[in-house]
Amino acid sequence: MSDVNVSPASLVGHGALIERLLRGEFICRVTDEDGWRALKSPAVRERIETYLNQINRTVASAGEGEVFFCGYAQLGEAERKVISSQFKDICQALIPLVEWLVLVQEASGQDAPLTEGAPVRLTELQARVEETPAFREQLAKLSQYRLFGSTSNNVDAQMKLVFKRLVELGYLSRPNLEKQIYIATGKLDYLYEVIRFIDETEGLNLEAQAEIATQRELL
Amino acid sequence: MSSNLHQSGVRLLRMLGRHAETVMDVYLSGSVDETAAEPGVISKLTDAGILWRPDDGEGLRLTRSVRALLEEGLKDERNRQINANVGSALATIKTLASHYKEARSHSDHSAAEAYLADLSEHVYAFTENLRYSIRVLWGRINNEFGYVGTISAKIRENELAQSQVSELLNGLELFQFSELGEIAADIRELRKLLVTTLQETLSDCTQELSVVQARLLELLGRFRQIQGRTRLLKGWLLYTDMHPDYEPMDHVAHRKVPMLFNRAEAMLADAHVDVHNQSQEQELMEMVARIKSISRLGNVSAAKAAEANVVLSAAEDFDIPENPLKQDVEDYFVAVIDSGKRQSALEYLNEKALPWDSESWIYQVIGGFEGLSEEHKSYFELEPLGEPHPVYTGNFIIRDVELWLS
Repeated sequence: MSDVNVSPASLVGHGALIERLLRGEFICRVTDEDGWRALKSPAVRERIETYLNQINRTVASAGEGEVFFCGYAQLGEAERKVISSQFKDICQALIPLVEWLVLVQEASGQDAPLTEGAPVRLTELQARVEETPAFREQLAKLSQYRLFGSTSNNVDAQMKLVFKRLVELGYLSRPNLEKQIYIATGKLDYLYEVIRFIDETEGLNLEAQAEIATQRELL
Repeated sequence: MSSNLHQSGVRLLRMLGRHAETVMDVYLSGSVDETAAEPGVISKLTDAGILWRPDDGEGLRLTRSVRALLEEGLKDERNRQINANVGSALATIKTLASHYKEARSHSDHSAAEAYLADLSEHVYAFTENLRYSIRVLWGRINNEFGYVGTISAKIRENELAQSQVSELLNGLELFQFSELGEIAADIRELRKLLVTTLQETLSDCTQELSVVQARLLELLGRFRQIQGRTRLLKGWLLYTDMHPDYEPMDHVAHRKVPMLFNRAEAMLADAHVDVHNQSQEQELMEMVARIKSISRLGNVSAAKAAEANVVLSAAEDFDIPENPLKQDVEDYFVAVIDSGKRQSALEYLNEKALPWDSESWIYQVIGGFEGLSEEHKSYFELEPLGEPHPVYTGNFIIRDVELWLS
């Protein structure tokens, strides 16, 4: 009896989380810490899974279990079509996103590329990009990809648009709307996993090629 | 003798204190700037063994022991020095223990006491050194090798630390407590030093070192992952630069779709309001109240927009002074005046076969009546015909109206 009472109540408690999953959002520590914690708990995840299974959905995870999203429990024709179009979308987004990640890493002089939880200060980044013609060129090039769709020649407008789009796409979150500080989300870690998957499955040897190129530069 | 030692020790420390600036300059820069320093000071420090010249062409440097004192005192994280030479420490301890036993068996108490003091010093120095090494390792782990800039340097530092840990662990394995137990035999002082103290410290340290080792491996993994990601991104750009036509294969076309790409379509829209849910009534009412105030604001702007429209299309608006419907209503009023009888509006509409929709006809009639001036209105009586709404009280449905002269 008490069991019957408890489980619907706790599902109601996770209603917002289930909604976010069904909206196609990625749940990570940055975007929704409570939801992330809930999905980390096997009991809660099990309950949410049972609920989602009823509508042919399942909780999927990536990034070593730190990012959650909603997948299909079973794949029919219709589901395959959706997945196929989503796959095409992410493949088209790969080049602009990778160029942006490299730009951020190089412009801020950091050793590590952006990963979940890393802050990006737009004004600082913009100042550095403005100072260096090579970075300006890179930004101008990447902001014109369809993913960002900028038509402006001005660094400020390009930068703002790229960041706005990245927030819309869920790769960045902006915890305080009054500040130009953005936090990388777990969806970026998902992106790395996608690239790694493609690299490994197609045998592209990306890391080795980069290594050889870096050594050549050092020589 | 001991007062002599005491005095020269104090002298040495004073000298360090007096030349603290020079010593710290050397500590930070690595070697003495001999052109700037006073030759007298330099020679004094060299004589005291604080500075030394490793090679003829080289500058003067701090001796190892002074450097170690400063590194330890300042908790300088650049300190990578770890004394992993457990073997020689063990040999010294064994030798001193034998000296002590021999002196004891010869009943040479003063010599035995000196040896024991020496032995204790060595054992404690050894355990302290071991703990110090572990502390240094932890320090490096905790700031993630923050004293070097690049990830590759961090990886190299991590590998150095790992090799030091394994050396320390290998060294600790040299300690055979059965052997030490035999040396100590039944001499209480020796047992305490060689067995109890050493064993406790060593088992603590071994445990801690294995934790250190695990953490180092974990960190190395993280560094490699970061490095891997950077390379992955660079590699991707290189590859797509070299192969502009490249497109990833269709990895979702297989029968078994990788879980990574199994993303469901966003399917959820906002829920609708349930006006029959009484538990939400209060909240819904509040919302509605808020909407009102907003819609009033909206009306203002709508009115403004309408005004703007009037200005723009003023010429068109004047095109309809003679609304035929209005004209027919006027005729209806005139007919009532002429006949002086009660006249139903709908009947009149049918009689005259006017083209108007009955509802708009009735509206226009009521409007016409209400639109009369008070004086003219008092000549007429208008009565709506109809019935109350069957469900909602207070609503009256007008089917027809009758007009007559009062």
